[in-house]
Amino acid sequence: MQKFDCKTFQGLILALQDYWARQGCVIIQPLDMEVGAGTFHPMTFLRSIGPEPMSSAYVQPCRRPTDGRYGENPNRLQHYYQFQVMLKPSPDNIQDLYLKSLEELGFDPLVNDIRFVEDNWESPTLGAWGLGWEVWLNGMEITQFTYFQQVGGIECSPVTGEITYGLERLAMYIQGVDSIYDLIWTNGPMGTVTYGDIFLQNEIEQSTYNFEHADVEAMFANFDQYEKASQQLIAENLPLPAYEQVMKASHVFNLLDARHAISVTERQRYILRVRALSKACAESYFKARESLGFPLCKKDN
Amino acid sequence: MNFENLLIEIGTEELPPKSLIKLASNFAQGIESSLKEADIDYSDVIWFATPRRLAVNVKQLASMQKDRLIEKRGPAVTAAFDSEGNATPAALGWARSNNVNIEDVGRLKTDKGEWLFYQGSEKGQSITQLLPGIVEAALISLPIPKPMRWGSNSIQFIRPIHTITMLFGSELVAGNVFGIDSSRMVLGHRFLGDKRFSLAHADEYLTQLKRHFVLADYVERKEYIRKEVNALAASENATADMNEDLLDEVTALVEWPVAMTASFDESFLEVPKEALIYTMKGDQKYFPLIDDNGLLLARFIFISNIETKYPDLIVSGNEKVIRPRLADAQFFYASDKKHTLESRLASLDTILFQKQLGTLLDKSKRISTLSGLIAKTLHQDEVSASRAGLLSKTDLMTNMVMEFPDVQGIMGMYYAKLDGESVEVANALNEQYKPRFSGDSLPLTPISIAVALADKIDTLVGIFGIGQIPKGDKDPFALRRAAIGVLRIIIESKLALDLNDLVDNSIAAFGDKVKTQDLKTNVVDFILARFKALYLEQGIGVDVIQAVLEIRPTYPAEFAARIEAINQFKTNDAAEALAAANKRVANILAKNPISAANKINIDLLTEDAEVRLVEALNTAQTEVEGFTDASDYTNALNVLATLRGPIDSFFDSVMVMVDDPAVRMNRLSILLKLRSLFLTCGDISLLS
Repeated sequence: MQKFDCKTFQGLILALQDYWARQGCVIIQPLDMEVGAGTFHPMTFLRSIGPEPMSSAYVQPCRRPTDGRYGENPNRLQHYYQFQVMLKPSPDNIQDLYLKSLEELGFDPLVNDIRFVEDNWESPTLGAWGLGWEVWLNGMEITQFTYFQQVGGIECSPVTGEITYGLERLAMYIQGVDSIYDLIWTNGPMGTVTYGDIFLQNEIEQSTYNFEHADVEAMFANFDQYEKASQQLIAENLPLPAYEQVMKASHVFNLLDARHAISVTERQRYILRVRALSKACAESYFKARESLGFPLCKKDN
Repeated sequence: MNFENLLIEIGTEELPPKSLIKLASNFAQGIESSLKEADIDYSDVIWFATPRRLAVNVKQLASMQKDRLIEKRGPAVTAAFDSEGNATPAALGWARSNNVNIEDVGRLKTDKGEWLFYQGSEKGQSITQLLPGIVEAALISLPIPKPMRWGSNSIQFIRPIHTITMLFGSELVAGNVFGIDSSRMVLGHRFLGDKRFSLAHADEYLTQLKRHFVLADYVERKEYIRKEVNALAASENATADMNEDLLDEVTALVEWPVAMTASFDESFLEVPKEALIYTMKGDQKYFPLIDDNGLLLARFIFISNIETKYPDLIVSGNEKVIRPRLADAQFFYASDKKHTLESRLASLDTILFQKQLGTLLDKSKRISTLSGLIAKTLHQDEVSASRAGLLSKTDLMTNMVMEFPDVQGIMGMYYAKLDGESVEVANALNEQYKPRFSGDSLPLTPISIAVALADKIDTLVGIFGIGQIPKGDKDPFALRRAAIGVLRIIIESKLALDLNDLVDNSIAAFGDKVKTQDLKTNVVDFILARFKALYLEQGIGVDVIQAVLEIRPTYPAEFAARIEAINQFKTNDAAEALAAANKRVANILAKNPISAANKINIDLLTEDAEVRLVEALNTAQTEVEGFTDASDYTNALNVLATLRGPIDSFFDSVMVMVDDPAVRMNRLSILLKLRSLFLTCGDISLLS
């Protein structure tokens, strides 16, 4: 008997949170800023740096402006959810832990074809890369599984294992629907609410904004401003607020991309500018933790 | 000493499928070379591999290393004993270090002096002592482009390692490799059967794994998949689109292959099949099914890694996955069809071909011009060729090609047909990229040929014209491949095209975008240089190629005809003598250069042999010209071969470098004529 109704979107989230909480993860809440992936959350990006152990799990809303389809494509969204798990150091049984989570969601591995298929991950803007797999469930990619090797240009030691579930895809599979908008979000005493009820209008309006109205000139100016602010904050030894400026710059860059405002050659230059900021934040964060004596290493367990 | 079969296995997390064979075979090679180096006997080494294990099986391995003969030279005898004949501390120390008494030490005498000498044998170590080190060394030296770390340890490998098993017969070889103790525990299939089981004997490896749902023998697994796929395809009255690369990748992704057949909606078949096939094979590793008429079926085969009572669940899951992907292709196709290829020309102006050489629109216009000129030279439809050239890159701007770059050209062909372009123009949009790789087929129709040549020549001339000449491995624009393509098309279709004209026309089309100094010569030389690779591959001797390159025929078809003729000529009895004669003539003329304007003066001929040679040359000249005009170099060389007798007697009885300047000049003129006549076919003085 499952504790949560995984046939609803929110039941799926609750089941994953419950499972990973039982494994010892800090169940943290989503970051309150626009990011392109759960990896940007400081709980993953910054906590992967340095020797201090940390394991957490959280839902992260992600924005990818170029993926907007005005609500017309049943498989693509410019705003969607990831369920992110980061385990540092990566435990020896990390694959088993992950597979157990699928069983928890109701996937019997004896009747489903579950496989780890090589897929290595790289984020040029975060100066990060790792090796791992995408996980296939009967041919569908449902999870990205990565052993971080480098983050912000710094070698990971110990290594963080990152597990990223694509929640909408997983839910579509479980619920057997062909359109994201038909997903059941909840099905309770107050009636049924679908994903479309909550997000369809948002997809239409935000796609329109991303592709047609986002103010290109203002965003170019914003980018410069965020870059400057981040550099100043690094100089003040404030890596956390400096990193927030990086995330803002990165999102503005994504919007400019959606507006086709950046040429191919310029694009590379912008990526390198964000990367330089990420690296500076990573180094500053490492130093800050070092000067505190890496306090989380000293705990008994 | 006893002999047993050895089994080494490392159990890992899922290994990268495309490197699996390389990893496994290198692991085996590493073990084998260590065994050789350590002088341990064995009869054979084989490897096994699955996504979660690399294994090496050494047959009939000796339990011990062979004993080794040790020879060591010690201190000189003069330094080993003092004046009273007592051993010095140095000598005693050396003896002790070799575990012998100084009295038992031997002497080594050479003409340079006499030394203490120790000869003994070192007992060979047992395989159980040596093996852990050998395995670790073999793992460390595996070719891993991106090694990784995991957890808190500092070990690096391609993916995390979980088990190490080393069994010598039934004996567990103890030891620690990469921080993991060797044990009998072997990983079974991830889900079916036991997750781990204990292995009693090296020889039971494959059979035990099979009982635990793992086909560890890579080749057996691959052939099993091939057989299963073919059988399922046959039951669908179809053949599976199964290339070796895909089959290898699929083999490296499963331990317990189960082939299944699934379907997609027939409405997707309205989309050009190449796009659907690309999606199925590239993204999902499926095997598409093709019927006897070459048509794609709405069915496909895939390999799952699990044997279950409910295959329908897995089938429907995979069908659910492919549906949105095919729907994407269908959507792109439907939206692309709303615009003609011609209407996309303007957007080509937003994409750079190369910064200094302009946009893809600029390139399209140049290709159009050049294609037209080529068609004209070949007496073909100039208008169609220009049209095809102009549209050649427009499909790059369609959604379909942007999403699936591999179907460029093919989509252009489909869209052109929908636009009402002629079949010739449509086919040219696809065939322009041929040959895509070594051994690929060639464009066949005149319009396709014109565009394929124009595209390649334009790239060659443009990139040379901005000084980015390929060097060593650096050939980012694949100019070598383009040049070989140009040659193959012209030779194999026997086209009367001159590289000089092609390059001239291309240079003109670039206008001031390219630096023209030496450009034509450099490009033509670069293309001609590809002949060497092309013919060496076909087994033609380098001397034959050089003999033709020497006279630099810029009509590739003529080049090819000469290669063929000279290659045949080499088997002629007269070939060797004529090559030598040509060498001699070339040397004389090199030392005594004369103007080609010199004519032979019959009145100055005095010797019989020279009269006969001149007569023979005159007769031969008429015949040779007749043959060379028809590009029949084989017969031209047959005629030239008949000159052997007159040439030999000329050199036997006539002195060239006589005192009388007029006679001397006349005889040099004879040699010049002789030489020129041979050079119409090639420089056969270079034959060896």
